[in-house]
Order: sequence, then structure tokens, then C-alpha cells
Amino acid sequence: MKKFNIAIVGLGGQGIITMGTVMKNAALNSDLQDVSGSERRGGAQREGYVETFVKYIFYENAAEMNNPRKSMHSPMIESGGANALISLEPLETLRGIKYLNKDSIVIFNKTPYIPISVRMGKTEYPEISFIVSELQKITKHIYYYDIDAISLEKFNSLTQKNIIALGILFAKADIPIDRFAVESILAEGKGAENNLKAFALGLNL
Amino acid sequence: MAKSNLFVNGSEGDKAIVLGNEAIARGALEAGIGYASMYPGTPASEIIAVLDKNKKHVENLYTEFSLNEHISLHGAIGASWSGIRSLCAMKNVGLNVASEPAQFLAYTGVKAGLVVAIGSDPGAPSSSNEQDDRWYSLHTYMPVMEPSNIQEAKDFTKDAFDVSEEFSFGIVLMAPSRLCHNAGALRFGNIRDRSNIKGDFKKDPENYLNLFSFAVKNHAKYLKRNELLKKYLIESKFNKTVNGGSSKIGFISSGVIYAHLMEAFDILGIYEHKILKLGFSFPISDELIKRFFEGLEKIVIVEEAEGFLEFQIKKIAYETGFKGRIYGKEFFSRTGELTLDEVISGVSAFLEKPPPASFDFAVKKDRELSDKLPQRSGTFCIGCPHRATFYSILKAVGFSNTEEKERDVVIAGDIGCYTLGLLPPYNAMDFLTCMNAGLSIGQAISKFDKSKKVIALVGDSTFYHSGIPVLLNAVQNGADVLYIILDNSWTAMTGHQKTPSTQKDIDGKPSSNVLNLKDLVKSLGVSYVKSLDPNSVKRFSAQIKSALKEPGVKVLIAKRECILQEIRRNKSLLKNGAKITETGESLYEIQKSRCVKCNECFVELACPAIILKKDEDTGGDYYYIDPASCVKCGVCYEICPNSAIRKVEFDLKSELKLDGKSLEITV
Ligand code: SF4
Ligand code: SF4
Repeated sequence: MKKFNIAIVGLGGQGIITMGTVMKNAALNSDLQDVSGSERRGGAQREGYVETFVKYIFYENAAEMNNPRKSMHSPMIESGGANALISLEPLETLRGIKYLNKDSIVIFNKTPYIPISVRMGKTEYPEISFIVSELQKITKHIYYYDIDAISLEKFNSLTQKNIIALGILFAKADIPIDRFAVESILAEGKGAENNLKAFALGLNL
Repeated sequence: MAKSNLFVNGSEGDKAIVLGNEAIARGALEAGIGYASMYPGTPASEIIAVLDKNKKHVENLYTEFSLNEHISLHGAIGASWSGIRSLCAMKNVGLNVASEPAQFLAYTGVKAGLVVAIGSDPGAPSSSNEQDDRWYSLHTYMPVMEPSNIQEAKDFTKDAFDVSEEFSFGIVLMAPSRLCHNAGALRFGNIRDRSNIKGDFKKDPENYLNLFSFAVKNHAKYLKRNELLKKYLIESKFNKTVNGGSSKIGFISSGVIYAHLMEAFDILGIYEHKILKLGFSFPISDELIKRFFEGLEKIVIVEEAEGFLEFQIKKIAYETGFKGRIYGKEFFSRTGELTLDEVISGVSAFLEKPPPASFDFAVKKDRELSDKLPQRSGTFCIGCPHRATFYSILKAVGFSNTEEKERDVVIAGDIGCYTLGLLPPYNAMDFLTCMNAGLSIGQAISKFDKSKKVIALVGDSTFYHSGIPVLLNAVQNGADVLYIILDNSWTAMTGHQKTPSTQKDIDGKPSSNVLNLKDLVKSLGVSYVKSLDPNSVKRFSAQIKSALKEPGVKVLIAKRECILQEIRRNKSLLKNGAKITETGESLYEIQKSRCVKCNECFVELACPAIILKKDEDTGGDYYYIDPASCVKCGVCYEICPNSAIRKVEFDLKSELKLDGKSLEITV
């Protein structure tokens, strides 16, 4: 059995759940494959921490798939268990740091969203350099971009940033999923044209 | 070829990614339900929402967002007694409200299968407590099924209807938020023929007339049915034993925690212990447990919350004379969510087998960092009328959230989006427990502490849920309270279900049965009732001030639709070809030169569209309204004491207006 775990973190309203859904749908074509992963959703409101897990499971054979000791998967990712972490907000990358190990790939968006506690002057928002140095203590595979700015520049809106991030993930990590499967899902969904462009953009960053 | 809308049209052989909640709904659909209802509540809301959304494509399906859980479960009972398989969903605390019908359900029994799907919320990310509803079953006798993954969520729900009919119990299907909001692969089954779903209520006085000696007889009947069910559960497919090697240690678990446990074993590389997976966590068959105990010396029960399995299994161990030891809550926390990490740590501690180094390292790293990181809490959406409401209340009572002074008013909180007002920066609630506790507790405080004014808050949906008798009680008993109903026309928190206040649907269609809230409040005997727009913060705040001077029960209705719904409706109307009737665009802008950073908009109002920007020239910071996020509600413009925020209007005739005055511009 092989596993590939992706943790996606960020804030409510950033399209994190959608990213997870696209990733999961891209993994439906093989019988010896399973996919799971829970979402931590806030209410309807904004700016709360949101995380979603995408767990791909590949069985060696049917016997393994039917073995109760192998076939049941937690909806969560354990500490140190993520092959990749995508974070759409810099500070939240540090909250997702617990999923990382020395081989994990981290992709994060540099645009900060300032929490209320910082607004009120009670705490300070960490510098990007601090975030990077903390990540470097664990893994050297770190990529970060101002995805908000890229999305605004190319699409005149922030709605494409999650799909851009998805493109980056496929460019930087060895995802055991066919990227054409992702593209065909994007092609069938809402806003297909922009999403395909955003995905291609991410692939080439 | 993929079929469109698999939720409705899928059949055996189809596979799709679905949410745990959708899997439950699909299971019910496959079982042939004709009735589905709930009072919305996270994490369970999508169970009924997905059925409601699809009902026009499903023959003979009735769905209802009931006004509360008590009504919703009674509705399901009525449908069941009419021979209709029925599904009633709710969140964990919903069962408190529905506990009354739940208490009677075992007595009377069901006719067609009835399933109560409960979304529990360990860790309480979306709830005001983390109660474990399984304990109710010790007196309601409702059997409890616990699926472990998406597939079981569907399969168990489907089977639950058969078990319900066979043993005449309403079945509780428990799904914690981790399962409700797990999205994964589901293999579909076939849907039962739906053409013959038809109600036929047959009188059954022996079972349905539940009082006096009939009730006592019914009591005996359900105890007997419970014994029969226990017998059935000795060898049912729902409880599974995974055999181990020669180890004398056995593990027992259920639900999502079982999934954590199996993965924990795999991560730790442990495969030799015997495991019992309980698909039914109530009732538990003594014989099943006795057989599992054979050859074992130590039993470890891995479960969330306060140890419902442990409680039952220790009793069975005593009665069956088990000589070994049983462990549970010594290794697994009673509070908060029991995560995969905690199961790994607990199992590893018990078996004295260390977890992988990467796990230890990550746990340590997280511990080291988490205290240092600024906390982030959710807040109202940009343009949310609740933000204006809280701002107005705090201003009216002379309170700034950056000062450390005691407020001399008591603000009673309640359940809904507006509950977020208890968080910083507003800190505008003094207590919060359950639905409609705000006014209920507040009216009593108003009687016993006359030195403080009492303001009680409630949302429209919460008010309709069970607030009407509370308000009537306050009036009848001469309470002295200002009751503010935050009427945003939707049950917004749980995904925008309609309330009696909803005027227009998202497609612009007017509702057929809108209630006049002001008239309702008046008819309850409140003479001081006013309805106003909270976004006019100065007016609203002045109104609160003057209302607080009046005696008795005063009601202010803060009436403004949820901004998300307003935006969605406008978008959908535009997409459907509606003409843009506006003649211009406007935007709000902070003038750097005038802003003195008094923080009125940035901290007191705290609209997230107002952000801090670095000034490239001076290196300092300034406040800036992000035009991509601002929804132009105008509240910041109204409150800036320094007139630093201006409204820029673009006329379609390309005339630029500033604060209402025309300007000449050269392009
Ligand atoms: S309220 Fe006006 S002066 Fe005060 S910080 Fe905001 S824009 Fe500046
Ligand atoms: S007008 Fe002001 S308060 Fe309203 S959304 Fe825009 S920035 Fe926020």
C-alpha cells in the first residue's frame, strides 16, 4: 500500500474546500485506489482557520484492499505525515507546520490576512523570513509566491488563487495523480476557462 | 459516460466523491425514504440540504426545514406511523430539544423505519458544548449505529431502516463532524422503487396511546425488544472482530475513532492484536463481548468523549466474570476531539512502542510554535449587518473595545452567526449557552440586579425556534430587558436555510408565507417595538440608547438581509439576464492625508476590508480599503470621526462625484 497525503490550509472563503474536492475527484478511475480526507469548516463566516486533507491510497492488490488492517483510513493526517502542504495564507502555514516531515513539499501564499488580535495590537504578525526559517528547520522543499497578486493581475479577481496554487503543487511535487484528470475536472466545472488558465499558470511558475 | 447528478441517478457500479453527510442522505434515499426533516445545525446541515435541493428530481420525497428539532422529530414519527420511511437529522445539541419525542419513541415504536442522524461536534468547533448524545440511549433505548467512513455512512443508514422496522426502534446514526465533513469515495447502491411511497395511517391504540397502564405495558415491550436486538447483534454484520496473533491484548473501538485506530496501528507497524469494531455502540450484546474477551487479559477501549463504551463494557465484564483488566480513559482524553495524533500517542503509550521519529519531531515543533502564533478567530463577513449591530450596541452603552473598563450593562448572547460578537474585538456577550437562553436568563437577571441594564440578543431563526414563549414569558412577568432581534432573514450560520422572515429566495422569487415579525412581537404584548436598519449605525445606536431608558420589555428589530445572500441574489439575477438598473458605481476610500489612525474603523468596527498597508515612501503604515473586498455597505464612511473616508461615485455619464458633490475631471 502506498499513501500520498496532502494538507491544504488557509482561511474561510479562500476556496480551500474546492481545491480538496478537485484533487479527490481526480482520483476516481482506478479500483485499487481509495481517497479520503476531512474538512474543517467554519460556519458561513470569514477568516477562520480552515483545513482540508486529501489522502490518496493505492493498494498493491485486491487482497490488501479487502484486508481490514489496511483498508480503513482515518479522515485526518497525522503529525509529520503530509507529503505536501499548501497554505493560502502565510501565518496559517505555521499552523500547518505540524504535518511536515523532512521530505514534505511546502507551497505557500505570501499575502497576509491580519487577524483581529494583531489589529488590536495584542500580538504581532510574523515576518515572512521567520516563517521561511521555521519551515527550513524541517524541510528544504519550500516554495512561496504572492498568489493573491498573481491572481489579481491575471484575472482581476482573487477567485483563481486556489487553482493557481493547485498548478504550483503539480509543478513542484510528484503527485501520483494524472494532472490531465485534474484538467478534465476543471474543464467540466464552473468558470472552466479561467480555471484552466489559472492551473496552467501555476504549472509554469 | 458519467451520469449527471449521481446523488439522484447513481446506481450500483457508480462511484463518486461525496461528503459524509451526503452519503447518509444517499443511504436514506436508497432505503426509500419519503420524509426528511431537520432544524439546521452544523455539522449535520448538508444531510437534509442535499435532499431538499434534489427533491424535484426525486419522486415522492417530502423535505422540511422545521422550526425546531422537537417538531422535526415529531414530524418524522408522524410520517413513520403513516407508513413512510423517515429521516430526521440534527446536530448534537438538537437532541436536547428533541429529547421529549425521543423519550416516547421506544414506548410507541415505529411503523415504517425511522432514523435520527446526529452530527456530533467533539472539540466544539461549531457548537456551544461537546455533548455525546449516545448517553441518551441509556434511557431512550434508541439503538446507536456508528459508521467509520463514507462508505459505511451510506451503507449503515440504508440498513438502519430495516433494523428500525424489525425491532420497532428509531435508530440513531451518529456521525461526528470528522465524518460529516469527510469527503471521499462512495460506491453507490441501487435505490428502492419509489413509485409506491404512499401514506396510510392505521390506528394502533395499543402502541400509540401511551399513558397510564398502557405506558407501563409499552415500557415492558420495549425492554423485550431491546433484548431481542441484543441477541441479533451477537452475530450481525455490523460488529466485526479482526483476529490477532497470540497477543493477550484486545482493542475495542467504534465509528471514526476505529478508523483512527486502524491507521494508528499501521503507522506504528502493529498488527498482532485482536480488535472489535462495534457498528452498534448501543445496545451492546453481553455474549458478543464475552466471546471477544476469550483468551484476552487486557482490553483497551479507544473512544472519544467520556467513555460510553467503557461504561457499558465494564458492566458486562463484571457480569460475565471477566478476570482481566480494562483500560480506556487513562489513555484517551475525555475532552476535545480525539484526533488521529492522540490515538497514535495513546496506543503507543499503552503498548510502549514509540511512534516514528517524524511524528515526535512534528508534535514537538507544533507545541513549540503554537503559543507564539497570533490566534485567529472567525469574524463577520465583510458588510455583515451584525457587525454594524454590535458596533451600535457598544457605542450606545458607551463602550470601546480597547478600553479596559467594566460595562454596566449585561449583554445576553444567543446562538447564530451573531454569536461571533462574543469574540474580540467586540467582546459583546456576557454569557452564552443554548438556544434562547439569552432572554430566558437575562429576564431573570433584570429582576435581581436592578443596577444593570440587560440587553438580550437573538437571531430571527433562533427566535422562531423557541424564542416566542420566552418573549411572552418576559412580557407576562414584567421583565425589564431590551431584546434585539437580529433579523437577517436566513438561518445563515448553517448554510442559509429559509426562516419565516425570508422575503425573497435567492432566485428573486418572493416567499409565499412571509411573517410580519413586528406584528408578531406586538401581538405578544410588547408595546415598544421598532424595526430599523442596523447599517445606519448612528440612528440605530441612538435608538438603543433611548430604548434602554424605557421600562419593561422593549424590542428592536435590526432588520437587514445577510449580505452573502444579497450578493448571491444579485449575481444570480445578473447571470439570468436582469438589466443593471443602477446608474453608477461607487467606492469608498480612505484619504491618507486625513486619516489620523484613530482606529474607529480598523479596530472598533473592524471591517476586514480595511487593511494595513506599508507606505513604500515613508516606510510607515496606513489604512486602506481593499476595493476587491469592500462591498460598499458604507458603515465605515458613516462612523469616521475625521471625515477621512470618502465615497467616490462614478456616474455612467462619467461624471465623478465625491461625497455627493459633482467634480469636474479631465481624462
Ligand atoms: S475612522 Fe477615519 S480617521 Fe479613524 S482610522 Fe478610520 S479612516 Fe482613519
Ligand atoms: S464600506 Fe467600509 S465597512 Fe463597508 S465593506 Fe467597505 S470597507 Fe467595510
